[in-house]
Amino acid sequence: MTNVNHSAVRAAQPASGEVSSARRMLGRIFTMRNIAVVSLVVYFAVFMAYPIFSAFAGSLHDWNPLIDKYDWVGFDNFVNVLTDGLFWKSLWNTAIYSFFSILFRVVLGLALALLLSSKLVKCKDTLRGLFYMPTITPLVAVSFVWMWMFDPQFGMIDKITGLDISWLNDSRYAMPAVIIMTIWKDFGYATVLYLAGIMALPRDVYEAAQIDGANWWQTFRSITLPLLKPTTLLIVITSLISYLQAYVQILVMTKGGPGTDTYTISYLIYDQAFQKYNFGTASAMSVILFVLTGILTILMFKASGDNTEA
Amino acid sequence: MNIKRMVAALVATGGIIGFAGCGAAEDSPVVDTQADKGLEVMGDAITYDPNHLVNDGQPITVEYWTWGQAATDPIYQMIQQYEKIHPNVRIDVNVVAWDDYWTKLPLSLKGNKNAPVLFNVHNSYDALIRPHMEPYDIPLEDLETDYTFVDTHVDENGEVKYIDSVINTGAIFYNKDLWAEAGLTEADIPTTWDELIEVAQKLTKFDGDTMVQAGFNINGSYKAAWQGLNYQKGVLMFQEDGHTANYDCETTKENLEFLQSLYDEYQVGAVNFGDDRELSFGNNQTAMIYDWGSYVGTLATNYPDVNYGVFPTPAFSEETPFAYDRYNGESTPGINVHQSDEQKAVAQDFIRFILANDDYMRIASDVLNSFPGKKSLQDDPEILDNPMMAAIAPRLDRLIWPGPTPSTLETSPQIAFENVLQKGQDVDSAVAYSQELIMSDMEDSDFTSMESRYAHYDERKD
Repeated sequence: MTNVNHSAVRAAQPASGEVSSARRMLGRIFTMRNIAVVSLVVYFAVFMAYPIFSAFAGSLHDWNPLIDKYDWVGFDNFVNVLTDGLFWKSLWNTAIYSFFSILFRVVLGLALALLLSSKLVKCKDTLRGLFYMPTITPLVAVSFVWMWMFDPQFGMIDKITGLDISWLNDSRYAMPAVIIMTIWKDFGYATVLYLAGIMALPRDVYEAAQIDGANWWQTFRSITLPLLKPTTLLIVITSLISYLQAYVQILVMTKGGPGTDTYTISYLIYDQAFQKYNFGTASAMSVILFVLTGILTILMFKASGDNTEA
Repeated sequence: MNIKRMVAALVATGGIIGFAGCGAAEDSPVVDTQADKGLEVMGDAITYDPNHLVNDGQPITVEYWTWGQAATDPIYQMIQQYEKIHPNVRIDVNVVAWDDYWTKLPLSLKGNKNAPVLFNVHNSYDALIRPHMEPYDIPLEDLETDYTFVDTHVDENGEVKYIDSVINTGAIFYNKDLWAEAGLTEADIPTTWDELIEVAQKLTKFDGDTMVQAGFNINGSYKAAWQGLNYQKGVLMFQEDGHTANYDCETTKENLEFLQSLYDEYQVGAVNFGDDRELSFGNNQTAMIYDWGSYVGTLATNYPDVNYGVFPTPAFSEETPFAYDRYNGESTPGINVHQSDEQKAVAQDFIRFILANDDYMRIASDVLNSFPGKKSLQDDPEILDNPMMAAIAPRLDRLIWPGPTPSTLETSPQIAFENVLQKGQDVDSAVAYSQELIMSDMEDSDFTSMESRYAHYDERKD
């Protein structure tokens, strides 16, 4: 027979209860949801908030972290940037680059999506994959390939077209050449998004239009296009943000040339920060770009109005 | 349960990493007890006696950072030789891509104990790394006795933190097959720019109005060439204060117009023909280009079938110019001043070893296609067998180094060239604009020109 010390067991009972309650409390705190939320907050704070704050602070300093230079200059960097002709030229180049790239991305993407969704085209999955391939190909690789294709001596473009144009060295063609490359690389993204949008369109509206005798153009203009407005807005805004930050293709294909004709705002920032180590100036430019991107995005949302909820 | 699994996964990952780390320690350095290696003392003025113990023979691992691979950085082979002599020393090489190197290295050097004690140096980034460098523990007289151009690296304290291992400059590369096709021989090698134009015209081919072969292609080379052309006329890159760029001057404009005339008047090339002159030369579409010695390596790697020769860059007249061109040096490694005394002692020993050792110069000259800085090897027949070295050797005394110039001195003039030749802008405004860019970029720069240290500085044009 085993002698049980009941008083000892009773004394131990509250301690065991405390452990369980502590476990329960920890269990409540360390739920997967809480861990996920905290991870996201930490990630955002470390990789987003802190760099953005650093850029804001850096824009007010003569800053070169490589030699520990961080001298307060107030708004001098902003004054220098806003009175620099190259900044405005780069801004204009960025606007041109973004406008045409977005325009053709939307038009081409929509046209191909309509074609792929029609009964005229077979092998839709293959074509969809084919169109999307440039989007997932690294931009550096694509830029190099297009740079060689544009070469006036051995490039494919001049050979096929029979032209004798030095695309990347002629100020009339350098920016259009970069835009052509960008459109080729990015139209697939718009095609896939539009295709998803078209698939989700309500069939009954089209049937009603058919009964009312609407032709293809009337259906497209009055039904398809308005209903695809949220998709268009998504493509335009993501494209705008992406193209305002474009510099890889410029770095590879033209290095901003001829002269400074293909300098974009992001290439100028890269040049200031990582070629000339003027991190203060580069930060001021980044802040301006940040504000500009924010304003343009808000304007687009405003312009699209309530239709985005359609 | 999920948390337990996550912890288990983290532990497993940590374990794998730990084991991998253990695996790397296979060829760890061993204790060295043999001071007398039975090896000869090497060197001339700078000597190295291998018969001693480094770090008292105790195992030590140091790190060397570089952007170069074994095929282009001579230090790799020197490390092998050194580790063989001193088995207790291991020098780990850490390769960082060029673009990242110049942000990672300065940030790492700032008082970080894990930073490398030895690192590859490029003089154009001198300002970023000089504050973190330990002076060489070698008497200045010995360095100057053995090596050329040491004086340009002596700082205000009379100390040297790195020197030029090998130097390089521009020369004219010509395609021997196209040369022969045009009926030209070695006797036609030009020594003046006028002669070069004549030869280039013979080498230029058209199909109707379309150029199919350029005689002389200058596309992309102006950023380096403008400096040499100005020096040939005795004009410095910087004004008397050694800081203000002297780009916007009559000589620059004159030379830019001269280059423009090569295309517009003499039609020996075109701005839209072979925009990458190196590529065009490699594809046998261009007969002559101006380039630096590193192009020998590019040709060997990318265009091994091109039958080429090299001759010295022409001058404006037969008279000896103020300088034929600028040169630039590949640098000897730097030593991290913030590292421990033990690490720095090994690094100093390694530096003495390479500077006393002729193998370093021979390997550097070979892999970098550059001229040895060590005086005793400058007339070595084996080295002069390389056509690039043969082109540099007779002009060594007439090459000038402006100092570790900021990159804007190359990029901004290139913009002027593009503005004039590609966009049709007038020379005056293009040069003025690039001068503005240079001034703006150099506003906060502490750079001071080394031109005043040039042996023939007094012959400069006022």
